[in-house]
Amino acid sequence: MRQRGDNRSRLLFVILIVTSLFFITLDLRGVQVMNGVRSGAQTVLAPFEKGANAVFSPIGNFFSDVVHLGRTRAKLKRLEDQNASLRKTLIDRKGADAQLKQLKSTLDLAGTAGYTIVSAKVISQGNSTSFSETVTIDVGANKHLTRDMTVICGEGLVGVVKVVYPNTSHVLLASDPSFRIGVRIAKSQQIGILSGQGTDHAVLQLLDSQSSVNIGDALVARGSQGDKPFVPGVPVGSVSSISHSSGAISEIAEVKYYVNMNALGVVAVVVKAPLADPRDILVPKPPEPAPTVTVFVTPTPTPTPMPSK
Amino acid sequence: MNTRKNILSFPIFVVVFLIEESIFNQIHLPFGGFSLFLIFSLSWCALSTPETGAIAGFEAGLLMDLAPHSQGSVGQWTLVMISVGFGIAYLRYGDDSLRNSPLSLVVIVSVGVVVSLVLYVLVGALLGMDLGSTFQLVKTISGNGVWTLAITPFLLPIVSRLHGLIFETRELK
Repeated sequence: MRQRGDNRSRLLFVILIVTSLFFITLDLRGVQVMNGVRSGAQTVLAPFEKGANAVFSPIGNFFSDVVHLGRTRAKLKRLEDQNASLRKTLIDRKGADAQLKQLKSTLDLAGTAGYTIVSAKVISQGNSTSFSETVTIDVGANKHLTRDMTVICGEGLVGVVKVVYPNTSHVLLASDPSFRIGVRIAKSQQIGILSGQGTDHAVLQLLDSQSSVNIGDALVARGSQGDKPFVPGVPVGSVSSISHSSGAISEIAEVKYYVNMNALGVVAVVVKAPLADPRDILVPKPPEPAPTVTVFVTPTPTPTPMPSK
Repeated sequence: MNTRKNILSFPIFVVVFLIEESIFNQIHLPFGGFSLFLIFSLSWCALSTPETGAIAGFEAGLLMDLAPHSQGSVGQWTLVMISVGFGIAYLRYGDDSLRNSPLSLVVIVSVGVVVSLVLYVLVGALLGMDLGSTFQLVKTISGNGVWTLAITPFLLPIVSRLHGLIFETRELK
């Protein structure tokens, strides 16, 4: 049996605990030194994250595909139908093509609404021990980004810029449990508060007890004063289920985000909102039903026998 | 306690931290995945004396607090890691039956990971941090525990060798 520790080791333990409590106190009181140290650490880490992203993103994509096998099954089925050489080319170019597609749809969305944007690439995602839904993007103060700017992609709202570093920024995703946004139902114009849940679904609480919501209703951001942190008109998600609780003051609904937060590649930061609210023009249109082909059959006239003379 | 040796361990922690932040954060594993840095630092503490465990916990916690994705206050991870690092070292150092069994080391590190995550959540709740749904927390913490059980046996020889290089080198007289 070894001697586990003497008074000196206990004293050291207490000193270290007190030091950590001192750090917590300084941070909670908003001492700038702590923010500066964290900002410095991010500045040091950014080049490593960028380099590793270039090298290891195919591995990350592979694991992501394995995790979300159910969602990508239909996509895989379509790919399997293509011939082998074309498939090989597609696999090689998959990463680049996906990013290009995301960038194009993001530009389309921003162009339709008239947002002035700065496009960015996601270089890192939050780790498993942070209990928060965050990503790091490769633009920061160097592109004149500031805190509380809206982040979008081709499908709609991604999140909001929380911390800006010299060359990178930290984005709080809409799925984070602390995320709250004022939304408007696209057709009925009713308003409510959407809260992130840490999953791909959010909870909508309507503000008016007389209002009602339907499955499939599209939600868009109401916008904030001075367009920060949210610019108006950004599609957020659609209602997937409704909870009819007798005790609730107003209706509560579950909302599925338009954006898949696990597959973010290229995003855009809205640096300037349009003068006029884009209202509902960005709401994704429901898929149009395939046109029914109508065939008119006209019977050919049967030749009447000519009377013989 | 050898201050020089404790200082020498810090660059190793920095390198593992960089690997975790730049490489392992790119990979999203099911059930929350695992934290390489947490496993490494707690394995390091488990191989150390209580004093060294507390100091290693302090170094590791400080780095985790400085991580860009850390949402808690600076010092929150430090507090947790000092406590767990000291606790693991204290528990293992005095008990020879635990000390000589690699299996016990794996179990202690896995339990340590779970305890440190639970402590982090509790301290975060006390400090008013938004933590999300209970289901998500339970999934992440239990997932981390299971992943740690699977990963630690592969990581232990490396940690043990690095630890031995620093703490078991005899000085020339």
